Amino acid sequence: MLSRVAERVYWMARYLERAEKTARLINVHTALLMDLPGRMEINWFTLIRLFNAEKVFSEHYERGNEANIMQFLIADINNPSSLATSLANVRENVRTSLDVLPEEIWAQANQIHLLMTNSLPRIADRYARQIFLREVMKHCQCIRGALDSHMSRDHSFDFMQIGKHLERTDMTSRILEMTSLLLSDDRSDTLRKYDGILWTNLLQALSARQMYLQHIHSRVEGASVMRFLMNDNAFPGSVGYSLAAMSRRMRYLPDPDMPMTMAQRVLEHSQAQDVGAIPAEHVHTLMDYLQSELGVLHAEIAKTWFYPDRSGQQQTQGL
Amino acid sequence: MKKEWNQYDPGSLYDELIAAVHQPREASYKLVEYLRHLTPDRFRQCVQESEAVIREMGITFTVYSDAGNIDRAWPFDIIPRIIPAAEWDCTEIGLKQRIRALNMFIQDIYNGGKILKDGVMPADIVLQSKGYRKACIGMTPPHGVWANICGSDLVRHSDGVLYVLEDNLRVPSGVAYMLENRNITKRVLPEIFNTLPIRPVSNYPAQLYEMLASLRPDLDDPTIALMTPGIYNSAYFEHAFLAQQAGLVLLEGADLVVGKDEYVYMKTIKGLERVDVIYRRIDDDFIDPEVFREDSMLGVPGIMRAWKAGKVAIANAPGCGVADDKVIYAYVPDMIRYYLGEEPTLPNVPTYVCRRDKDREYVLEHLAELVVKPANESGGYGMLVGPHSTAEKVEEFRKLIQEDPNNYIAQPTLSLSVTPTSCETDTEADVHRRTTDPKSRIKIAPRHVDLRPFILSGKDIFVTPGGLTRVALVEGSLVVNSSQGGGSKDTWIVGDVVEGEEV
Repeated sequence: MLSRVAERVYWMARYLERAEKTARLINVHTALLMDLPGRMEINWFTLIRLFNAEKVFSEHYERGNEANIMQFLIADINNPSSLATSLANVRENVRTSLDVLPEEIWAQANQIHLLMTNSLPRIADRYARQIFLREVMKHCQCIRGALDSHMSRDHSFDFMQIGKHLERTDMTSRILEMTSLLLSDDRSDTLRKYDGILWTNLLQALSARQMYLQHIHSRVEGASVMRFLMNDNAFPGSVGYSLAAMSRRMRYLPDPDMPMTMAQRVLEHSQAQDVGAIPAEHVHTLMDYLQSELGVLHAEIAKTWFYPDRSGQQQTQGL
Repeated sequence: MKKEWNQYDPGSLYDELIAAVHQPREASYKLVEYLRHLTPDRFRQCVQESEAVIREMGITFTVYSDAGNIDRAWPFDIIPRIIPAAEWDCTEIGLKQRIRALNMFIQDIYNGGKILKDGVMPADIVLQSKGYRKACIGMTPPHGVWANICGSDLVRHSDGVLYVLEDNLRVPSGVAYMLENRNITKRVLPEIFNTLPIRPVSNYPAQLYEMLASLRPDLDDPTIALMTPGIYNSAYFEHAFLAQQAGLVLLEGADLVVGKDEYVYMKTIKGLERVDVIYRRIDDDFIDPEVFREDSMLGVPGIMRAWKAGKVAIANAPGCGVADDKVIYAYVPDMIRYYLGEEPTLPNVPTYVCRRDKDREYVLEHLAELVVKPANESGGYGMLVGPHSTAEKVEEFRKLIQEDPNNYIAQPTLSLSVTPTSCETDTEADVHRRTTDPKSRIKIAPRHVDLRPFILSGKDIFVTPGGLTRVALVEGSLVVNSSQGGGSKDTWIVGDVVEGEEV
């Protein structure tokens, strides 16, 4: 397959994953705030820190209140990690890879686009916003379901899987980081009293609550939630599972040695420490490190498959 | 909608569906009856459904002047246009005859130019044509066919005859919209398909693939690609759609490289892989910066070498645009007689060639009645439509013709046929912002149409049953070009019905 198309479907899958997770995260965060006592100052700004978007946010908004933060995270196309940006990128990457995708994907991408056009003006309203975010999740799952059911297991599919798993790892690490930040916040003494609720919401943000309860048989508490999300071999949203799945996919692709080695290294680093034994407030350092390694892994993937003509001699042999 | 249909009056114009007030044509009778019995609400629902389908299916057309808006929804009217099968069969024969002669002509002029030596047409017309490419001299593409995909424009005059208005041989577009128009109609008017033998169009992508594969008869399973100028091109939707439907690799010039062995390679995740056939949707000028425009970023350096060495087939062949010239068009009936020894089945629009003294004299005397066209413009640009123009504009063209008579032809202003089209009574002014205000009344009114069938030529020749009907959505307007705000309709070739079978 064309390198350029490989890059587009890879990013399509990344943005699809990011959009779905962003929608889920915002909904869960809103729900979390409803579980906590009304007098508590809710820290909406945590969501901005989660996306490392403090600088962009402060350039465009004066106050970090709910309305501004929701506008920024959902609708603002100046924000490269907003939901609107992610979904626009999903659509653009679908539009430019129609020849390799099942045809109904394009119609689905358009439906999301229409949904956004119709819903974005009303997101300031919590009720309308929740309905919209649920619709987004549903549409993202429709696209993923259509890809899973109707797409040959070809290289396009491999690149989508790699993109999906890489983004998923990244989003999981960011959500774990958020929890760590919440707990280390000076003002969160009250929050700590509610940490069961916090961890449950964290699991929900990753659609992991039910599987956690079924397979871990432990009450919801920090250490075992962290271990589940970092190391569990059976849960497809865990960091360990995603990284291993990514490595397996790479094996199907030509010349996978360099990126596979890198993916293996990220996996080993992420599993090297017992995350459950680290104090929650220190987890974010570990997650920062994981995110930077994922950045290197992405660069390796791009160098190997997306820009092969820049990476060496072998492709020009015989000409 | 009984009232709307009963009042419908095409006046003195030829109407594709309605012979006279209250009298649908034979082939249209069932359709008109069906539409007559829809309530206005149901009809409106159909229109809205069609608009929703277009948005959901992402059927778009880019208009360059529409800055920043790459997503203009494809303008579509739900009332189909019908052509009786018997008439179409004749038309199809004429189109095949025409493309055979055109291809023989192109082959001839790059290989000796017998037609010029025999004095059938003046040599300098060919040599001065913008589409003439010296680089193609001596070349013979597979099967001697240069124009593999042709989109001829047909118009019906008030005499009821279909005329060929022009032959689009360079990179004709619109076939994706023909296919999508049928898809929309199937969703909006599903009941009607059971009662009429409507010829299917859905085979086109498979025929396209077959034709392209036939350009490499030496290979069992050639790698075939569609080359687009890129994702911002006005026809990108069509490029992606055709690649998807026909199973072609969609690529851009930057994805390709020509090797020292003169094969064309695409840059893949495995390194370089050979491409055997390229359906290019990019003009000659931009295809190879080594040979044509040096500044082209869209093309592939060396691709002309690869083509001439027979290592890659290119459709349409470079240089085929020479026959897509409005002066040369005037000679197509002569070409048919010269190469095939046959009389043309489909007539040309009578054409005055301004380089001929007598023709020019006539044209200059009758400018205000004529349509004047420059030889090498497409999309209706640079034209004078005498009767709809101003005195200044007429004088401007008088000068243009006197300065450069070789570049102009003139034709009588045709009275294009019309067909019933749904219009919002209060929004004529802006056809792109059709109101969905439930109170606005829909009326059925006559609007001018043309027709673009698509002809594939490789080892065999295939003509789409019907084609893309374009409609001028503004009352009285003759401008049907999508790039200038025209709309489109599904086009049905309908046979006689005997118990559901076409005869």
